[in-house]
Amino acid sequence: MDGIIQLAAALAIGLTALATGMAQRGIGSAGVGAIAEKPELLGSVIILVAIPETLVILGFAVAAIILMG
Amino acid sequence: MISRMSRLEIIGLKDNLPGTVRMLHELGIMQIDDIRSLQNVYMQPFNLTYEMMQKRESIDIINAKVNGLEDLFKKYFTTRPKDLEDSSSIDVIKEKVEQVTSIVQQLTQHKENLQDELVSLSKYREILKIMVPLLPESAKKSGNATIGALLHTTQTRSMNMLINQLRSMTQGKFEMVTVKVGESTNALVGVLPRDLVVSVENYLEREKITQLVLPDEYTTLSSGEAQNKIEKQIENDHKELDEADNRFLELASTWGPYLHAWQMTCLNILDEYEIYSRIGETEHTFTIYGWVPVGQVQSLKDHLHKQVSSDIMINELDVPKELRDKIPVMMQNPKILKPFEHLTKMRAIPAYFDIDPSKLMAIFMPIFFGMMVGDVGYGFILLILSLLLSRKVTKGIFGDLIRTIMYGSIWAVIFGFLFGEFMGTLGSVIHLKPILMDRTEPGSTMKLLYMVIGVGVFHITLGLVLGLWNALKHHNKVHILERGGMLTGLLGLLVVVGTMINILPASINLVGYILIGVGVILLGASYGKTGVILGPIEFVGLIGNILSYLRIAALGLASVFLAKVANDIVGMVGNLVVGILVAVLIHSLNLVMGAFSPTIQSLRLQYVEFFRKFYEGGNNAFNPFKKRVLLEAEE
Repeated sequence: MDGIIQLAAALAIGLTALATGMAQRGIGSAGVGAIAEKPELLGSVIILVAIPETLVILGFAVAAIILMG
Repeated sequence: MISRMSRLEIIGLKDNLPGTVRMLHELGIMQIDDIRSLQNVYMQPFNLTYEMMQKRESIDIINAKVNGLEDLFKKYFTTRPKDLEDSSSIDVIKEKVEQVTSIVQQLTQHKENLQDELVSLSKYREILKIMVPLLPESAKKSGNATIGALLHTTQTRSMNMLINQLRSMTQGKFEMVTVKVGESTNALVGVLPRDLVVSVENYLEREKITQLVLPDEYTTLSSGEAQNKIEKQIENDHKELDEADNRFLELASTWGPYLHAWQMTCLNILDEYEIYSRIGETEHTFTIYGWVPVGQVQSLKDHLHKQVSSDIMINELDVPKELRDKIPVMMQNPKILKPFEHLTKMRAIPAYFDIDPSKLMAIFMPIFFGMMVGDVGYGFILLILSLLLSRKVTKGIFGDLIRTIMYGSIWAVIFGFLFGEFMGTLGSVIHLKPILMDRTEPGSTMKLLYMVIGVGVFHITLGLVLGLWNALKHHNKVHILERGGMLTGLLGLLVVVGTMINILPASINLVGYILIGVGVILLGASYGKTGVILGPIEFVGLIGNILSYLRIAALGLASVFLAKVANDIVGMVGNLVVGILVAVLIHSLNLVMGAFSPTIQSLRLQYVEFFRKFYEGGNNAFNPFKKRVLLEAEE
């Protein structure tokens, strides 16, 4: 049973990390292109790149709840 | 802090206009509005006189020449020389620019001539080098002359016809050699009696055959002598080219450091002409509208009245409704807050009625950084590294980030003591006891999560309170509803959670749900018709914002466990030296990540979670009409 709980926690954080990475891949490459054209967009790009991280943070919260019971 | 701005109207007689413009330029404290873009101002923009236009054109030309000199001198510098000031008048600068330009033109012409000559001589040398050994003995006899022709390699038939024709013209007294010169050219050199040269040359000209003609000075020489002379000339030309380059280098080092100062002088004069078009004029008067920081209005009045004319009228105007969104923003913060001011601007320049978040950012960003790193050892190392780097990197985004890391690392040391961490799990080795909690203990994880959620609730509530206060101050109904709704909903949520974890009595559970309901309705109302959908979505977003602070715990845990791995590996490898080496590598990696990741994450918490609750952002930075200065002088 413990193994399944740990697997669930790993999936919660692993899959959300994967999803965050996939989202950041697109946003990041477009963002770097935008900064090359307009360096003043750096602030906005950081925000855009950071937005999908909420996914993995929520995954982390779920994993913590699973593990801590 | 965002400086308060006064809207000024300056009216005076046209005779005083040049003096006024010069004084405003000198003071550099007024942003001048373009009269053409102002509503309800019916005045024509100032038209430059013919003399002014002539003067502007001549300055434009000087500026273009200086730019040309800069481009030319650039290639003679391995490193750009330090700019030097030159306070000469524009007439003196013009004279200097003319003088340097004239020398540069002569030198450039000389260089071009030499390069052209080198190209021709190299060709002749090439041909002679191939031909001389092949020339028949008869070429050396007095009374004989040599003549050359160049033909394309595809013209073999023409060449045979030419040889036959020349033989018949000279009645057989013609000896010749042909040789391939270059990729696609055949050269033909013939020896014939000198008296027949003219008729042969005429024939070649008629047939449009390119003659191989050496420059005049070589025609009287034998081919061998010509070859030697050409070699010498090529050597001389190279020497002269080197001398010309040295002369350029000398010019570049003498005048190069002044070019930027000259450019500044030209641009400052051109700026003054440019500003005239923003000023309104009547037959005898001028009017200037613009913005001046409140604290500097009196100084501007004094200067204009004392140094230009006491007749100039300076009126402080009420800000018209249509210009409320266009009030320029000047941020004024102490030096210590400058990095945070720059980071705030990186998000967006504040709107005039915004609260300047630089101070709040200076408080929370380093604290969040410290909470994430939370290690005495890492904190000290980062502090030392950032102190060293901050001396080298003083400007730009990296300079700002290094300073924020510097302040953050002080908090990292403080949290290191609270968590009892030294290079991860080595705290116990130096008898460091956790004061608050031990993050490596499984039992502390939930405590840590509650702590960061608490931090998030506090941070976001602070943002909402500031936003609500600012909205009330400026009577912004939409923002009052939005921020008031969020705050009410958040309060309701806290009550519900409080009853769930038995901090609050279960009887007030309903109050919590009512507050959430009211909050969502208020929030929805701020969005108008779409509020039915957007209200609940935004409220869920608010919960997401609070949960986002979990990243503080997540990054902290990742960092401490990586450090634990580094420490544990020393005993696992078997070889102490290799173990220590691997541990040092992992700690270094953790340190780099510990500097980079917490900075970005704490910046994100400011930008996304905190700023959005009270910060609008604008795009009207205060841009006063001021003199340009050399970058070095500015520093």
